[in-house]
Amino acid sequence: MNAIIYLLRKNVKNAIVDTIRHPMKLIVYAFIAASTVFAVVRGFFSTEEVGDLLDIRILYGVYLALLYFISIPIMLKGISTGSTFFSMGDVNNIFVAPISSKKILIYGIGRQLATSLFLVVCFSAYGSFAIRMFELSVADSIMLVVGIVLMLFMVQMMTLLLFCISSARPRRALYLKFVIYALPIYALGTVAVYMFSNGLTLENLYAAVSLKMLEYAPIVGWVHGLVFGFISGSTMDIVVYASLLVLSCVLSVVIFCLTKLDYYEDVLARAESYFEFRDNIRTGRVTDSDLMGSKKIKLRKMGINKGKGASAIFYKHLREGSRRSRFMFFNINTVVLLGVSSVIGLAMKSFFSAPYRVTVIYIAATVICAYIQFFFSAAGDWVKELNKPYIFLIPDSAVKKLIMAGATSIIKPFIDGAISFAFLWILVGGYLPDVIMCALVYGSFGCIYIASNILAQRIVGISGNRGVFITFYMGIMVVLMVPGIVAGIVLLSYLSGYLTVIAATIIGLPVLIWNIFISFMIFLMCKNLLNNIE
Amino acid sequence: MLNVSHLTKKYNRFKANDNISFIVNEGEIAVLAGPNGAGKSTAIKCIAGLLRFDGEIEICGFNNKSLEAKRVLGYIPEIPAPFELLTVWEHMEFIARAYRLENWKERAEELVRRMELTDKKDKLGKELSKGMQQKISICCALLIEPKLVLFDEPFVGLDPHAIKELKAMLFEMKEKGVTIIISTHMLDSVEEFWDKVFIMMDGRIEAERERKAVEKSGENLEELFFSITEKNRPEKEQEASS
Repeated sequence: MNAIIYLLRKNVKNAIVDTIRHPMKLIVYAFIAASTVFAVVRGFFSTEEVGDLLDIRILYGVYLALLYFISIPIMLKGISTGSTFFSMGDVNNIFVAPISSKKILIYGIGRQLATSLFLVVCFSAYGSFAIRMFELSVADSIMLVVGIVLMLFMVQMMTLLLFCISSARPRRALYLKFVIYALPIYALGTVAVYMFSNGLTLENLYAAVSLKMLEYAPIVGWVHGLVFGFISGSTMDIVVYASLLVLSCVLSVVIFCLTKLDYYEDVLARAESYFEFRDNIRTGRVTDSDLMGSKKIKLRKMGINKGKGASAIFYKHLREGSRRSRFMFFNINTVVLLGVSSVIGLAMKSFFSAPYRVTVIYIAATVICAYIQFFFSAAGDWVKELNKPYIFLIPDSAVKKLIMAGATSIIKPFIDGAISFAFLWILVGGYLPDVIMCALVYGSFGCIYIASNILAQRIVGISGNRGVFITFYMGIMVVLMVPGIVAGIVLLSYLSGYLTVIAATIIGLPVLIWNIFISFMIFLMCKNLLNNIE
Repeated sequence: MLNVSHLTKKYNRFKANDNISFIVNEGEIAVLAGPNGAGKSTAIKCIAGLLRFDGEIEICGFNNKSLEAKRVLGYIPEIPAPFELLTVWEHMEFIARAYRLENWKERAEELVRRMELTDKKDKLGKELSKGMQQKISICCALLIEPKLVLFDEPFVGLDPHAIKELKAMLFEMKEKGVTIIISTHMLDSVEEFWDKVFIMMDGRIEAERERKAVEKSGENLEELFFSITEKNRPEKEQEASS
């Protein structure tokens, strides 16, 4: 155990020394800390009126969805690959050392707990928003944050338990997967049954997501029950759910200790892939394996079949895209956007009165979907292409290569936009010019994200510091977006009173023109990006 | 064929390559030898046109960043980087299309066979081991029938058969007049076929030898290598410990 304590002590000390020795790191950490403290203090102690408070039942639903979103993918992955308690360093050095595997496990769990505690600090800024929007107390808000961290911890524990039960038993692993899938299906089913029996209204949706039954689902429901038991002051809920959670933890550790399990092999595989994944994220070299895991790909169509010179890159991307998703451009991102725009549409339908209601919904959906698209754009085809030497070596013009490498990343948001806004139109109606304009504007933000990325790569360098790169990328993106948005708002205010029913079209037109124009200019200006890999 | 003149590559103040110059003629196999951190891979990447640098590099009389130079250059990186969602054969097809090659299939078949990838033709890049991924890199680079091939630590990760086959390919390419540059720190891996050797240390070329001259003088290459690479070692170790 002395070795483990020594390791922990040295890790902490060296992390502090390393931070002090790298002023840039120190500044970034100080900035994050200051922003978090500011957000927390502002949220907790501000006396400023927020306006209309939101229904607390919205928080019930959103929080439950968040808990499912955090837990289910990790648990599913955990069944096949084991836990993520250990790093490659641990595997290579501690696993082979003469230290009991149980002690090593305690070390892993302890370190995971410390990480969870660190996350409490990071999430605390979000807790302060809840205070302002739902009229919660400071303690309630802290409990919301603690709940998320508790969920993360419990997920790790459950992963361990599930892994113990299913390791080297494929049939059992399959049954467990069904059980895990059953959890969100139970939640969705409960909400659906309630709404279909009582009517598809927003009020019934609020009532459905706050049903007590939803808290009966193991772990996710229990964490939710504990948090909202605390917020509503129900001692019974707190005692019951806290006991259930503690019992689950104890049970998983006991089962783990009783199982004669050689977990090293499975942890090794997981640690290796996690190490590679983390390294790729750190260096900005995200690969398809990072995004898709060990998913088996069925090879339906073979060959690239088209393209000469730079255009071969585009057709290669099409083939790769068809393997990532059977429907090529229609993938999980499209589904997320469909879901988000639908929720926005349905939720806002009751807040705004006609005739302006629909156009406001379209503006809101465009803004939120464009924000979400930013995260999707980080792993675009062209970004991955820069991580391999081929694009630099191909004997063709740099501009052609740049455009061809970015083509799928440009087309995809336009297709997503068309699908999402067409679906929104079916749900909430509205004016066709608004629908078309919003889809185009959404797509044009994809161009802005790529252009910002290209410009940031040109300034910082492809192999430059990732922290500096991201700072530049975000800064450039904001600078590029602002003129179009300002022009849109100015145009709307100029025309107000005449055409406000199609406000989305009026604001969108200058945004669309500007986004396309500036993106194209940046493509031209940065044509030399592919001259070298730096 | 390859003319490197006053190549300097700086990373901030650190000079990874410090004013190096050398010429490798048609059909010659040149070895960039040196310990880890000597600047071999940096020089290779500069020649491949992947890095910014000061100085001049000409391939077949063309600037190394020109399209003409790229058309005749094959590069095998130290760390293989296949496309994860393309099959082995699709890698061949992609390179053929990107380089606008004609009648490439027979040659691709031959390369794939010699690298023992025939039964893996329909395997995705991500499903292959590191060694097999390295074999794909070799096939991709050689498919274009380059006039200059840059190998960065080519034998690392390859199985004995692939090493044997690669060595045979090197001889064949040499016969055809292809210029080959190999970066390595393992001199014994290239002792059968080198024509020129450049021993690098701290970013500079400290010694340059031709095979004929070495054979005539009876100079021991390994001894020369260690006499250069270890000459400042005690001082360096002392500096590091203080």
